[in-house]
Amino acid sequence: MSAPFLSVRDLTVAFHGRQGDVEAVRNVSLDLARGEILALVGESGSGKSLTSLSILRLLPEAARMTGRVEIDGQDIASLSRRQMEDVRGAKIGMIFQEPMTSLNPVLTIERQMTEGLIRHKGASRREALEMARISLDDVGFAEPERVLRQYPHQLSGGMRQRVMIAAALALQPGILIADEPTTALDVTVQAQVLDLLVDLKSRYDSGILLITHDIGVVAETADRVAVMRGGEIVETGSVDAVLGAPSHDYTRALLASHLTVEKAMHQRDADARRMAP
Amino acid sequence: MTVATATIKPRRRRMPVTVILGLGLAVVIAAASLLAPYLTPFDPMRMAAGPRLAAPSIAHPFGTDEFGRDLLSRVLTGGRLSLGIGIAAVVSGLVVGGLLGLLAAFAGRAVEAVLLRVVDVLYSFPDTLIALALVAFLGPGIENATLAIAISLVPFYARVTYGLAAAERAKPYIEAARLAGINSGRLVRVHVMPNIGQSLIVMGTLGFSSAILSAAGLSFLGLGVQPPSPEWGAILASGRNYITKAPWILIFPGLAICLTVLSFNLIGDSLRDLVDPRRKGRP
Amino acid sequence: MLFLISKRVLAAFATVIAVIILSGILIHVVPGDPVTAMMAQSVSATPEAMADMRARLGLDLPVWQQVGLYAWHVLQGDFGRSIRGNESVAWLLLQRLPNTFSLAVCGLTVALAIGIPLGFLAAIKRGRLADTAVMVIAVLGVSIPAFWLGLIMIQVFSLKLGWLPVAGSSWRNIILPALTLGLTYCALVARMTRSALIEVLAEDYIRTARARGLRERQVLLVHALRPALISIVTVVGLVFAYLLGGQVIIENVFSWNGIGRLAVQAMLERDYPMIQGFIVVFATSVVIVSMLIDILYGFLDPRMRQR
Repeated sequence: MSAPFLSVRDLTVAFHGRQGDVEAVRNVSLDLARGEILALVGESGSGKSLTSLSILRLLPEAARMTGRVEIDGQDIASLSRRQMEDVRGAKIGMIFQEPMTSLNPVLTIERQMTEGLIRHKGASRREALEMARISLDDVGFAEPERVLRQYPHQLSGGMRQRVMIAAALALQPGILIADEPTTALDVTVQAQVLDLLVDLKSRYDSGILLITHDIGVVAETADRVAVMRGGEIVETGSVDAVLGAPSHDYTRALLASHLTVEKAMHQRDADARRMAP
Repeated sequence: MTVATATIKPRRRRMPVTVILGLGLAVVIAAASLLAPYLTPFDPMRMAAGPRLAAPSIAHPFGTDEFGRDLLSRVLTGGRLSLGIGIAAVVSGLVVGGLLGLLAAFAGRAVEAVLLRVVDVLYSFPDTLIALALVAFLGPGIENATLAIAISLVPFYARVTYGLAAAERAKPYIEAARLAGINSGRLVRVHVMPNIGQSLIVMGTLGFSSAILSAAGLSFLGLGVQPPSPEWGAILASGRNYITKAPWILIFPGLAICLTVLSFNLIGDSLRDLVDPRRKGRP
Repeated sequence: MLFLISKRVLAAFATVIAVIILSGILIHVVPGDPVTAMMAQSVSATPEAMADMRARLGLDLPVWQQVGLYAWHVLQGDFGRSIRGNESVAWLLLQRLPNTFSLAVCGLTVALAIGIPLGFLAAIKRGRLADTAVMVIAVLGVSIPAFWLGLIMIQVFSLKLGWLPVAGSSWRNIILPALTLGLTYCALVARMTRSALIEVLAEDYIRTARARGLRERQVLLVHALRPALISIVTVVGLVFAYLLGGQVIIENVFSWNGIGRLAVQAMLERDYPMIQGFIVVFATSVVIVSMLIDILYGFLDPRMRQR
């Protein structure tokens, strides 16, 4: 495996509260290489999203982060604001949970897809348009030209998320951070989007930091997994090892609840089948 | 069966500095106006209390006007007029607007639809324009100006009261009270009013500043308080021809209007966000 | 979209009709006899002259008929004749309309040109010194009476410095009244811009734009300002309405030959046909502008355009 493209050491994110500082992320360390999928799994509020935002230095103003984040060998703390802007999108792309609200409603898809290409790749308007067309094609749009002319509200949730993915991957980042990319989508669309991510990962040779609360998603897609709870990573390792033989109580609890849900759903399907004439 | 009444949450929030500033200013202005008869060094109407158009001095701290009247005395006395008009207009506007708002919220769908439509249309016209149009028909004078300003505030108060009452209407305890068979009138009096009263008073202060501005504007145009009464707008109107020779005639009454309006804006603005959930960028 | 526009146009038309009827009715709520009130200052107030006036105004007809007749005439562009001078009210208003319109547009332009950048600055520096400063200016701005500001402007720029004329009708004369109106209402614009932008800056798509590595300038000027401006457009109509209200007074302060000055003169002289005409024209302007703004909004916001 190649040297890690992203390396996080002892990351701590604290908020200044009334009764002293509140640490929302504590001593998180992780490594991720190109072509690899690392899942960061945990309940909401466990600090997964804050971890990902601090990698891009996009934390809310009230938050303070300490620790070391290296992207492609560069310590991001040493970068100026403008240098950090050069890293965002180009070296690390990010897609968010809410495809409904993550695209600007008053700008066309074309504008939102090409602006990053023009900015980071030094592409002309025409070249950027062509690149955008290709990556829309890559994420499975039959008519990229049409989509480019449209506004976000004219697309379905799944389409919007694919646009988000296309826009991020068109910049060929070393790593794509996907923050709950399927949570807001319909179950059928979820599987499509996940397959797409896995497929594109190998094609673009990007690593993926997949943030999710769904251990089922982890099992299907990830190579390695880190389990977060209360701001800390409690267990980490390959997916097979961690899910096969969880060493931490919390991981077991997560797995158990997932299995219970799964069982209940199977049961419900079975019931439905039995009820059907 | 007893009906649960909503308890008012204790306000832990610290009072903003701006509110304290506004309140302090308002108290000083109100006190100065109330005590004007005892504070004024001269009769505000007395001509030749000093030399004509005299600059501010120890004898006449604000100077004198074109008839040699003491400007300090006139400005202080003018405060009584301005505040009086403001209070009268706000109270009557609030009562009428408030009743209309409650009516819209609790008198059934048809009344609600019609009243809201009318109020919304009226609300799209600025209150100064409404006051101006009304005074145009009623004729100049202090009573007519007050009446016109009061009416001009009605759409605003009706809209605000309706907003507050409609929010209250959606709460479970009102539903419970309705199910318990309490009629609308009693419901409003016993349950709704105590809960929205506080908010209405805050909104009252906002209308107050706009009432003062309207009154000054109307008087300035000669449509409100008539000279020689020392209303601030009227003083400015009669002094405007002397502004080169005696800029103090311009400065002091104007500052009095500004500070009064400012004090109520400071109070109302800071508190408004706490009480009006629907508001967004409205003046 | 076409449906929305026609609905909006119809609503505006209904409002204008209501205003016309209302101003037709208002003349009858005048305490006492309007003719007596009107002729009070006139030396020629003989019983015959008053009866003649009553007939001319149609005051001897039943109220509903008078109102109906008035509305019918107004819709045909006939606002009656003024009491003083016996001139066509419509013609008098029309003559002054360009002056009033140009002042309103200039005032609005100044208000937007100052208010939007200030509000923008306050929003992006939220909670810092610049924000506080802008908000202090804004609350001071809404507390200063426009006519007082106007008098001070005259005192400073015309009389003391001699830069601009006090009154007259060259293009230089519009500068002071337009500035006064603009400064008075820019506070309102600044506050609305600030709150609109603060709302937009909290949106997910701003975070997306930043995560895409765009320059902060681009994030603010394209991704934040554009949606914010669309919502600011919706309140421009409101600002315009308020500005028209202030304009009546400002025209009188600067002796600007617009409808506002004409109207106040008519009010002091109790020239009712003139007053009615003023009310109808001003109210119609408010209605038309807010209608145009709503329609414009429909075209600006892609979410509305599709309907």
